Amino acid sequence: MIGAPLIVLTQTVVNEQDVVTPFEQNLLVGLVFVIMFGLGAGLTPRDFRLAIRRPWGLIIGWVTQFGIMPLLAFLLIIGFLWQLPREYAAPVALGALLMGCVPAGTTSNIFTYFSKGNLALSVIMTTNSTLWALVMTPLVLVLYGRLLFTEESDLQIPTTNIVITLVILLVPVVLGMTVRRYSANIGAVMELMGGFFGLFFIVFLMATWVPRNWALLAGTPWQTYVVAIGLGLFGIAIAYLLTRAIRLHPMNARTIALETGIQNGPLAIAIVLLTFNGNPDIGLILIVPALYSLFIVIVATFVTFAFRRANLAAEQKIPSLL
Amino acid sequence: MTERPWLAHYPADVSPELGDVTLPHLPALVSAATATYADTIAFTQCMPNGMNGSLTYAQVDALSDDFAAYLREVVGLNQGDRVAVQMPNCLSYPVVAFGVFKAGCILVNTNPLYTATEMTHQFADSGARALVIIDMFADRLPQVLPKTSIETVVTVRISEFFPPVIAGVIRGVQKVWNRSLPTITVNHTSLRSTLAAGRSRKNAAAARSYLDGIDANTVAALQYTGGTTGVSKGAMLTHGNLVANTLQMISMCGTYMRPGVEIVLTALPLYHIFAFTVNLLGFFHIGARNILVPTPRPPSNLKRAFENYKITWVSGVNTLFNALMNERWFADSPPKHLRASAAGGMSLHMSVASRWREMTGTPIVEGYGLTESSPVLTFNPLDGMGKDGTIGIPVPSTEVRCIDDAGLPVGVGTPGELLARGPQVMLGYWQRPDETALALVDGWLHTGDIAEMDADGYFTIVDRKKDMILVSGFNVYPNEVEERIASLAGVIEVGVVGIPDEKAGEAVRAYIVADLTPPTEAQVIAHCRETLAAYKVPKSVRFIDELPKSPIGKILRRELRADAVTSPTASIETQGRELS
Repeated sequence: MIGAPLIVLTQTVVNEQDVVTPFEQNLLVGLVFVIMFGLGAGLTPRDFRLAIRRPWGLIIGWVTQFGIMPLLAFLLIIGFLWQLPREYAAPVALGALLMGCVPAGTTSNIFTYFSKGNLALSVIMTTNSTLWALVMTPLVLVLYGRLLFTEESDLQIPTTNIVITLVILLVPVVLGMTVRRYSANIGAVMELMGGFFGLFFIVFLMATWVPRNWALLAGTPWQTYVVAIGLGLFGIAIAYLLTRAIRLHPMNARTIALETGIQNGPLAIAIVLLTFNGNPDIGLILIVPALYSLFIVIVATFVTFAFRRANLAAEQKIPSLL
Repeated sequence: MTERPWLAHYPADVSPELGDVTLPHLPALVSAATATYADTIAFTQCMPNGMNGSLTYAQVDALSDDFAAYLREVVGLNQGDRVAVQMPNCLSYPVVAFGVFKAGCILVNTNPLYTATEMTHQFADSGARALVIIDMFADRLPQVLPKTSIETVVTVRISEFFPPVIAGVIRGVQKVWNRSLPTITVNHTSLRSTLAAGRSRKNAAAARSYLDGIDANTVAALQYTGGTTGVSKGAMLTHGNLVANTLQMISMCGTYMRPGVEIVLTALPLYHIFAFTVNLLGFFHIGARNILVPTPRPPSNLKRAFENYKITWVSGVNTLFNALMNERWFADSPPKHLRASAAGGMSLHMSVASRWREMTGTPIVEGYGLTESSPVLTFNPLDGMGKDGTIGIPVPSTEVRCIDDAGLPVGVGTPGELLARGPQVMLGYWQRPDETALALVDGWLHTGDIAEMDADGYFTIVDRKKDMILVSGFNVYPNEVEERIASLAGVIEVGVVGIPDEKAGEAVRAYIVADLTPPTEAQVIAHCRETLAAYKVPKSVRFIDELPKSPIGKILRRELRADAVTSPTASIETQGRELS
């Protein structure tokens, strides 16, 4: 994955070694593999049949995932990041856009569970968007990239590399499914571990990455924080309002909202690490995915509390549209 | 009524008589199956997340030999001593239960969800000397043991006999995540060490001597039941009762139970007589693989079992079948390899039966029986001759008839108390001659159920004698009203009971668990009016979150009634939760 044309910028603020050590890189990629393996280990061909038979949830999820989230990222970049100097803003924006275009994360399943959502729908939506990401992530990335990076004429989004990365990351999903087919025991253990590693990833980020990059974080303009936090928060809010507006059952609305807002942060970071390896701006590209991964846990926790308290009584009167 | 009109409706491959039973006792049944299917998997325990462990026929046989040797050689139990067993469905269950039989001891099945009071009663009444209990529930023992004659406590882990790593993960989750493992303060030994101790002491000659003098008439199990009088008492089921009933049930299923092929879902608890005889003994006997599910609630716990194993048979109760069909994953891809399903424990609603057939494309038939009859008395033929809404025809070598209040047989189509006679009928109630005299008269078991027989010899349960509601002198059978209300959209489950009424003596009340679009009280009443006589229509309707249910999911009308009597207006929500 080396040698592809990458973003070339005149000035670098931070260099790669400071932001992510090679050890961290390997660890993160390894973790993403385990997480994706765990996702696959919870799946059977039956789940796909189920998804095809009842596609409405997936269609809505698809629209919110690849329609709303990239658009939201695009608007946040225009609204906030473009206030900043271009040589800083462009690589950060690339990371933010990527964050908006990646599929849903497995942590959404955990939060859906705690917010009394539809767990089965959440799992199937995560899988569905992960598969679609092969086509959709590069597509929306290029689409919005053309609109955003007009000034950086030499900028090329490495779509081939992103597709290759996604394909590589689908390998553990298929592997997980295969392993689970032959040993339900190993499958169940891996599924359990995938969930734990998802959380471990955040803890790891907080414990090692944040203190070491304190100066970088302190020097990061507020606009970047707005983009990183807003992507998750507004994503959840918009998806919730939209699904409620088309009168979905609140349980499914909650599920789709969390599923939309919670992106696969580890995957975005892994894509950056694997495709922008050697790029001097990798540190800046990583900022939004890293900040997003940190803050989404806090945002999702608050949303979960709000959802749990939300009108359970009102639900008794609302017909189930499932 | 000496004629048996049902004989004409036996499937071609079913003999009306059991003939000579060559198996003198349950250990012989275990040995016979092991001899044929030694390396076949007998039991697989499937956890809700798919983690599993398995034992082959040979392993179950050897491990139960070890446990028998432990009970006799190490603990020093004698023939006929009672051993209480209290655990959910898990791999240890067959090992321990078969071990108890091989030791010549008597098995006392105990519900693991029992309160300390219920445990004390059952252990003291049976005079059990040893207890095998799941570790999760052993924290109640300090209160219980001093009031019983239990000297030895063996604890079992839910993950017993699982691959070591998997067992470790389950143990870790139980300990750290669920915190469901209490500290056990009484003296106890782990099953693992009892098996090791037994293994070092066992020898074939001694094992044979444990069974000296044990024959078909020796008591094998004390199966506790409320019976018709409500007092909890132990039905004495002999080796002969259980062996006969196993063979009767198998014989009735004919070619639908293929030796060495079937994979049966065992979601009902084995400590209950239905799963005990049908799944543990019946399917074991034909070399099937039992998929043991520790807790079938919520029904999503069964998802992995259906995904990972090619289930060919399901035994269940109405509530289980209904709950499964309400699960989307089940409705969208019903089990492909299913051959047939057997329902018992409570009446199978016709609407549930027809939906099940439509969804799975396989037959589901209802059988009937009591704890006192090991339990199967009647069963519907699987060959398409079954009749929905009936409990079918008597199993081979079984006589069934209905009598009126004067004790005289009633005619075709007339309701009367159902009486049964056959090799599966219990010896009597443990140390309760008075209760035995009420239930067994001249070899006939008085079931307390009101039934009627049609011209073809098929029986239909009209209702439980004691559940009958008397409205101004008219008999109202709750089943009939429940069946009607269950067909109304928005109703998930319903229980109908009689509550005291100044004018009519008793009035009909319906307790309804509704989905997100509940019908109104007026709609329920109007719906009943369409087909039911005025006196059968509920006077009042209550909407609740959950119905009180027995461990196998049978709706407990007496709990509903108790609520109605003590607090005519209060909700029974909390009570329902505790019970289920």
